[in-house]
Amino acid sequence: MKSWLTDLPEAFPDALVIVDSHGRIIQANARAASLFGFDERAMTGLLIQALFPDQLLALPSARSGLPDEAGQHLELVGSRSDSSRFPAVVAVMPVKIKRVTAAVISIRDLTDAQRAQFVLRRGVEILMSESRDRRALLRHLIRAREEERLRIAADIHDDAIQLISAANFRLQQLRLRLRDEAVRGILDKLQEALTLSSSHLRQLIFDLRPSGLVGGSLGPALRVYLDQMHSDTGITYRLDDRLSARAPDGTALLIYRNVLEVLANVRKHARASTVAVELLDIEDGYLIRIIDDGVGYDPADIEDRPGHLGLVLIRERAELAGGWCRIESSPGTGTTVEFWVPLGVSSTEPDAGHERAG
Amino acid sequence: MTPMFGQDGQRVLTLITGIADLTAEEVDKVTDAWKHVCPSDRAKAWARLVRTTTEQERYQILAAASLARREALVTAHRLRRVDWAFWAAVSDAAAAVAAGTRIGRHYDTLTAPLAAVMPPLAACSGVAPVSAAGFTGDDPRTPAVSSEGA
Repeated sequence: MKSWLTDLPEAFPDALVIVDSHGRIIQANARAASLFGFDERAMTGLLIQALFPDQLLALPSARSGLPDEAGQHLELVGSRSDSSRFPAVVAVMPVKIKRVTAAVISIRDLTDAQRAQFVLRRGVEILMSESRDRRALLRHLIRAREEERLRIAADIHDDAIQLISAANFRLQQLRLRLRDEAVRGILDKLQEALTLSSSHLRQLIFDLRPSGLVGGSLGPALRVYLDQMHSDTGITYRLDDRLSARAPDGTALLIYRNVLEVLANVRKHARASTVAVELLDIEDGYLIRIIDDGVGYDPADIEDRPGHLGLVLIRERAELAGGWCRIESSPGTGTTVEFWVPLGVSSTEPDAGHERAG
Repeated sequence: MTPMFGQDGQRVLTLITGIADLTAEEVDKVTDAWKHVCPSDRAKAWARLVRTTTEQERYQILAAASLARREALVTAHRLRRVDWAFWAAVSDAAAAVAAGTRIGRHYDTLTAPLAAVMPPLAACSGVAPVSAAGFTGDDPRTPAVSSEGA
């Protein structure tokens, strides 16, 4: 038993010293000697303060009993025999056997742990920095997309639609000069095709730059889109518009874009029969919830794979506007998208007042 | 590591590491509890969360929520549970813990479902700090005492 106790300090996984109530080292294990660069026997008799110079290390004394710090872990700087320093975590465990007060002090070198922590912290900083860059890039992408939409809408309006209108007008003039009914029939078909093209282009302009949102309200604009979706795909919808006031143009546009992005996903991937769109006033902002009854997906499969820019943009648009977004799904349970944006959106979209097309 | 998830990073890490220990029954309990929270209240809580934080803080909170959600997904898969309400509940709770007292009473809204199986979560950090060893709320039943955020 006695031999076992004598061997205990050496079996200890950390550096270990035993000091008396004056802080003088009675015993030190080989790890302590190695850590502090001493010969094992040379440590005996040293004051513990020599190993941790200029630092407070409260020890138990015969008179005052156990210090408050007893048993606590302290982060100190150890000093080796060659005066080099190292960070250490130190635990002081007071012991009292018969009338002798002593302290068992374990010391662990934190150098490697601190280096690892530094590397880890640096890694986290790099990741955070890259994430910020990615965000800035996305913000730029969202703006660029919106500006490009504006430009294309303006070009279609100023160029293609004007040309079609002019062609249509000339066809009408030509029709007046024609007497052959068969040729007039062909001309009628041609005019119908031009009118249809013009109508499609006007719808495209609306999709690119929904003029209905400027001075109008979100609900009716979404209803137009949902009606079209129903006639194209057969997906039925429920639109619950409980917004008490018209959203500012920038906010309305952001919401409209996000809802359309979600609905585009529903059309492409969900295989849904019904979609519900809810617009609610919440906390000085707008909560939008879109729920479909489609096949859903496994987030673990989908989110790790690249190529889901639509979902990323939905989230980023909401978050960049100072809001939040949740996109959740499970296989067989449909998909729920909800996002909230504050009333005063910090705009990532070009000014809605720059409307040129329509 | 702490700065990554805000001032309560240690609490967030404790929450995240605890997810893997949940049983299937506990996952079901969290899932049910989440569905009983009023969706509008939850939306208000998140709105308050993003309103009362700076962009940097939001980033840390969302990082916490995202990592916790990922851990919950892994746990749900392992336990053959596929209801997304579970990982949504975990994500909500991690965000609330990272946000701390700033979201006031909304803290309870977001943490309540997960607190059904991790009772010490019910105590907000402003009231009961957590040690490195785990949540140390003296009495898990003690409701969070926190001030309403601005």
